[in-house]
Amino acid sequence: MTDLPPRSRGVIALLEENCTSCMLCARECPDWCIFIDSHKETVEPPGGGRPRQVNVLDRFAIDFALCMYCGICVEVCPFDALFWSPEYEYAAGDVDELTHERDRLREWLGSVPPPPELDPTGPVPAEVQRARSQRAPG
Amino acid sequence: MPVSSLADRLVALVAGGTPRVEFGRLTLDVPAAGWFAAATAARDDPATDLSCFDWLSAVDELDAGFDVVLSVYSATHRHRALLRTRVPRSAPRLDSLVPVFAGADWHERETYEMFGIEFTGHPGLVPLLLPPGFEGHPLRKDFVLAARVAKDWPGEKEPGGDRPRRRARPLGVPEDWEQP
Repeated sequence: MTDLPPRSRGVIALLEENCTSCMLCARECPDWCIFIDSHKETVEPPGGGRPRQVNVLDRFAIDFALCMYCGICVEVCPFDALFWSPEYEYAAGDVDELTHERDRLREWLGSVPPPPELDPTGPVPAEVQRARSQRAPG
Repeated sequence: MPVSSLADRLVALVAGGTPRVEFGRLTLDVPAAGWFAAATAARDDPATDLSCFDWLSAVDELDAGFDVVLSVYSATHRHRALLRTRVPRSAPRLDSLVPVFAGADWHERETYEMFGIEFTGHPGLVPLLLPPGFEGHPLRKDFVLAARVAKDWPGEKEPGGDRPRRRARPLGVPEDWEQP
């Protein structure tokens, strides 16, 4: 795996905790290959406060028989729940076996490479600037 | 040869040809009646020598008809040109270029099955890629994609499993394609 370029598009991995089942990826997918089921649950925030409704994911599946590896879902995800993994060895004997559910999509998270380093000659990110100015005012 | 002089030469060779240069590429619009003569002249003239057949295909321009496009290249002068002609939608018929470029055979068969354009004089105009018995011409813009009708759009559901407030439409699927 290590000899593959870091931006290789092997498979799409899902970090379920980040998914809010907002449906953006499923709607943007040109191949209609992402399937999401979810339901609403009411949670009481610890320490009191108004009960909140949250979406709970029931199903997240990607049909890699349809996927054309465009990466629009990874780009569009507002909560960084989808990642490219360079893993490519998941051929199957039947097209039906290429629909992978969320447990399988999570397994691929382990091979997701770390994000590329920032350009050392580029501008200092806003949050770093803010942290620096807070540490040493004036 | 610079693209402007190639354009001038082709205009002199082809009756009724209109040149157009975009991004350094020459497109010559020719009348459908002179399609065969234009390709022959562009191939045989030593100054143009567009003798290398690249590809042939078509574009569905809806009510305006179909544009048939031919890409040819000169290996000696290292320049290329597109020849383009328009056939009416009601009678999509054009002279075959197989006598000019033998390689046009399969390209015309594919254009025939995908757009329903008939190439008169083609030695064996039968579908190339589509299975036997396939009905319709898949690259025409009015062809309804069965895969977009037979299957539900996964994006129609709302987050949290709510009932959709208004029917969301899948991107790029025309309104008049019937949903089951």
